[in-house]
Amino acid sequence: MSKRKVFQGNIIVAKAAIAAGCNFFAGYPITPSSEIAQHLSREFPKMGRDFIQMEDEISALGACIGASLSGKKVLTATSGPGFSLMQEHLGLAVMTEIPLVIVNVMRGGPSTGIPTKPSQADMMQARWGTHGDHPIIVLYPAFADEIFSETVRAFNLSEKFWNPVILLLDEVIAKAHEDIELPAKKDINIYKEKVNVIKDLNIYDRNIGENPPRVDFFKGYPIHIDGLEHDSHGYPTSDPAIADKMQHLRMQKIYHYQDEIIKFKEYYMDDAEMMIFSFGVSARSALSAVKIAREEGIKVGLFQALTIWPFPKKALQERFKKIKKVLTVEMNMGQMKYEVERVSPDDVKKDTLLRANGIPFTPQEIVNSIKEFSK
Amino acid sequence: MNKYEKYIRYQTFPTPWCPGCGDGVVLKAIAMAFSDLDLDPNDIIVIAGIGCSGRMPTFFNTNTLHTTHGRALTFATGVKLARPEKMVVVISGDGDAMAIGGNHLIHAARRNIGIKMILINNGVYGMTGGQVSPLTPQKFITETTPYGNIEPKFHPAELMIAARATFVARETVNRTVQLKEVIKKSLQHNGFSVVEAISNCHINLGRKNKMKNPVNMTKWIASRTVTKEQYEKLAPEDRAHKYPVGILQEDTARYEYSELYHKHIIPAAKEAAKKEAAARNNKK
Amino acid sequence: MDREEKQINEAALETRKKKQHSKKENVIELVSQYCKGCGLCVDSCPTGTLLLEDNIESKFGISVTVDAPEYCIGCKMCERRCPDFAIFINHEKDKDGK
Repeated sequence: MSKRKVFQGNIIVAKAAIAAGCNFFAGYPITPSSEIAQHLSREFPKMGRDFIQMEDEISALGACIGASLSGKKVLTATSGPGFSLMQEHLGLAVMTEIPLVIVNVMRGGPSTGIPTKPSQADMMQARWGTHGDHPIIVLYPAFADEIFSETVRAFNLSEKFWNPVILLLDEVIAKAHEDIELPAKKDINIYKEKVNVIKDLNIYDRNIGENPPRVDFFKGYPIHIDGLEHDSHGYPTSDPAIADKMQHLRMQKIYHYQDEIIKFKEYYMDDAEMMIFSFGVSARSALSAVKIAREEGIKVGLFQALTIWPFPKKALQERFKKIKKVLTVEMNMGQMKYEVERVSPDDVKKDTLLRANGIPFTPQEIVNSIKEFSK
Repeated sequence: MNKYEKYIRYQTFPTPWCPGCGDGVVLKAIAMAFSDLDLDPNDIIVIAGIGCSGRMPTFFNTNTLHTTHGRALTFATGVKLARPEKMVVVISGDGDAMAIGGNHLIHAARRNIGIKMILINNGVYGMTGGQVSPLTPQKFITETTPYGNIEPKFHPAELMIAARATFVARETVNRTVQLKEVIKKSLQHNGFSVVEAISNCHINLGRKNKMKNPVNMTKWIASRTVTKEQYEKLAPEDRAHKYPVGILQEDTARYEYSELYHKHIIPAAKEAAKKEAAARNNKK
Repeated sequence: MDREEKQINEAALETRKKKQHSKKENVIELVSQYCKGCGLCVDSCPTGTLLLEDNIESKFGISVTVDAPEYCIGCKMCERRCPDFAIFINHEKDKDGK
């Protein structure tokens, strides 16, 4: 009998979180992500893990950060309006170098927008939403099996790099019920290394590109964690030399390892003369479109970004050596297209297919754009 | 070194507060309370938000966390749920507790989560230069009420009593022994506890209102301090400007939140899991 | 020293007039690097032992001085009132003398 079962995308996220060892969820209900909270409210207590519904998204992320510092692997899930509320605490988590995973199921925006329809309009906000210079990792699966694997990868990356990771979904893939074979426990790779003993209280002291040697609270060391700019002990300071050093340390912690963090999938790219750049639900339609176009003889391929930030600049520039046409397909008024423009040389022709009215692109619509662009 | 100095992080001294600021007095009272109870510094966490009171965790030699404005209680909720056996102390000022953080305050009280809150009420937003706060007395001049404050102030302790917080007390920075005792009792309380410490900001509030010296401002606080019993005997019209001190509410009957989660929710869920597993086996 | 600080000293001296020498000797330790000269200890002393004095070495140009140690009754009100850990009465010493 087949091991494939039907699950909703949100439930796949929840199951992947459980498999990754997540043991604390604090959240606030919001369409279209509430199923994640509901599923974990049932499953976590069965395993002795912690679940709490807080009074708003701000307090949800606050509780997550407190729990992460106390040794838990934490998750929260929200959508546009809640994600906007979480920005201040997201900055605190980056500043204090705390692992946590935030799921943002994108819906029509801005503001209350269209809660029950998809969009891909938080791409730039995921990178720049919180104030100040901050590194961030943003992942975005498209297919059901990717929802599982990217959720586990989100936890692994956040633990490995001591930084929040944002896992984007959209209303379509989160709410769709699809068949998936969940991987066996032994096949799931969970990042295990964690600092439990430190040499001294210099918890942020390290070389460029390294992780901070910081323990969690209650390990026997009276550590100080502060949202103010701080020295290697974590004590507040406004000294310019220290501030400069800390900024570089935090940024390079991620960008030094971006090759390891960046992940993407390619379809029909070997002999492609045109490339579609897409992600999430749009990538799914684009894949079908590419297959249709290929049958009609058009040499088009699909570059599906799984890591949105850091942006796969090097990979794209490699492909731009041979491919001279790129079509960005996204459900917004133009966000990632600016990144594609930024990294592509002048001799590459750029086109876009954009829409932000809550209706995903059909494969035929993308095929029409491909045909127009190939003229 | 006196026993209470064990809880002080001298490496971060001197404190940034103005000469005579009540924050330092509260810092000492808390350290003395920790010391009286013989607590292990590694089992304590002190969390604060933004403001002059928000700088306090830096000076405790325990686990310490300096968070965003008004949200210290939310971080404390996460810590307490994750490590229910630890001592979680939150220090708040006017804005943290009663303005931006007001919502989290009533939810923490409602949940009766075992967080010990010290609310330092000095009637102003001191750190940012002396703007009006929800705890500024009426008619006072501040940076944002140059013609006098027309907004009535909150009474934090009474608000907490109405929110059914299970331990509510008020003391002032003049009555240092009683302040320490009341903090000690709040640390021992099983559930959410609030100690409102009336403090002096003579530099940013007192100076605009004829009390620029800490001795004068603390004397002004003393003139408005009455015990709970004296307050009961006052006529309603005389009560308006008085601060009744002492333990104002103590309820030991309610369950504490994390206790309830571990003693009720987790066993109930495990029972349900067993039943589901049995049902699955029967189907096969 | 401004007018109000002088008043604090005058009040302390007035208080002292009504008191006598203490029966027991108490050790008053000042940590000058932390003293900000706020005067709370001077005001809280029930026997007027302490006074404020102008002091260029001090951070704010003013600090506490032990003017009449023989009046100290060891009540520790000053130690409890000091926000800056700048005054200790009969400070306990560890084995290594700290």
